Amino acid sequence: MVTKTEESQLNKLENQVENGGGGAWEYLCLARKLKVRRSDKVLKYGLSILNDSRKRSSLGPDEWTLYEQVAVAAMDCHAVDVAKDCISALQKKFPESKRVGRLEAMLLEAKGSWEDAEAAYSSLLEDNPFDQVIHKRRVAIAKAQGNISAAIEWLNKYLEIFMADHDAWRELAEIYVSLQMYKQAAFCYEELILSQPTVPLYHLAYADVLYTLGGLENLQTAKKYYSSTIDLSGGKNNRALFGICLCTSAISQLARGRNREDKDSSSDLPSLASAALEKEYKLHASDKLSVLTSTLKCLRVSS
Amino acid sequence: MAGTGGGELKYEMAQNAYIKLVLHALKHKTSAVNGVLLGRTSPKNESLVQIEDSVPLFHNHLGLLPPLEISLIMIEEYYSARGLGVVGYFHANERFDDTELGNISKNIADHISRYFPQAAVLLITRSLKLYQKGKTAALLCRFVSYASMAF
Repeated sequence: MVTKTEESQLNKLENQVENGGGGAWEYLCLARKLKVRRSDKVLKYGLSILNDSRKRSSLGPDEWTLYEQVAVAAMDCHAVDVAKDCISALQKKFPESKRVGRLEAMLLEAKGSWEDAEAAYSSLLEDNPFDQVIHKRRVAIAKAQGNISAAIEWLNKYLEIFMADHDAWRELAEIYVSLQMYKQAAFCYEELILSQPTVPLYHLAYADVLYTLGGLENLQTAKKYYSSTIDLSGGKNNRALFGICLCTSAISQLARGRNREDKDSSSDLPSLASAALEKEYKLHASDKLSVLTSTLKCLRVSS
Repeated sequence: MAGTGGGELKYEMAQNAYIKLVLHALKHKTSAVNGVLLGRTSPKNESLVQIEDSVPLFHNHLGLLPPLEISLIMIEEYYSARGLGVVGYFHANERFDDTELGNISKNIADHISRYFPQAAVLLITRSLKLYQKGKTAALLCRFVSYASMAF
């Protein structure tokens, strides 16, 4: 996961290179470090370096890392021939390498020969059963074929071994949400919150899933997690502010027929949230302020 | 601009609406995207629905309720002042060869058709297909020829 500062730094570099200001190698290094998926740009800039023999030799030993990066980007952009060329260059340099073998298997996957790729990955895993990338490629194959239940199975097996892989937990949660299996998605977010309790993104996603599940208890818990998101993000998170207003409205709708005994004593929370939202809108989108006020009114009216 | 036919109901889609949807899908090539279609029934012809505009919604976590609720309320507020209402839903799947209308899209489209019975669902695939809700027969119409004309 990438922070805002890292992302803006990456975008700045991208703009710079795009407008002819140089810095392609820095961009590629940063993209590799942050593990972002900007394959079309990586492919373009990487090829411009690799095709120029002077620039290529000035890289020294990093040349081969660049070949690997460009190969993966080419496969993502479906430029299979480019990928093939990069991989053959790597094969010539490192003939018995497992890392190159992994790239070859990925090439099979990119071409769509699923069974061959599966076989290649299984044989690679026999030699090195703890290669995280290969495990995840297996999940990707299942997903690409449309076999979501197999993808879930593989991903669960992977997470039993590598419980600390946060991106994998997030991917699993997103798959569950897309299948509307909200309880299981909630479990994934709970794991993420337990291991990284200060990341507001997980609190926000967990609150969203709880709200979607519905029911009075879930709504009240969702409200708490929206509040913790606002706390952790310094009050800047608009989605969490909206979430508070939605939760309040939904809770009071549910509690209308029941006893009002356990009504929230923090009844100034929604008004604080709406005030914060209005301030944000005045600052950034003042022409949409009227839409915001009527939306907030609608939520309060329906409560 | 593009016209489609079948049964008694027809849909007309403005170029602006169409372009916004396609660009949104293109910008987020690696995820499923969705959005709403806005328009009205033609005052001259009740069986013609004019899709004047569209609003792209999300490109991740399509199945979560809070952002959807807020955005639908805001869109209704904004566009009812301009005389347009929500007339449909559009969706593009994550994989290019997936032409199924998933559960999430069905639920959202059901919800929309409760307020606007002639609601349409636009599923963007390699060629465009238009599914109509609220009628027993599903209509499949191709926008491909118009797409090449529009660009």
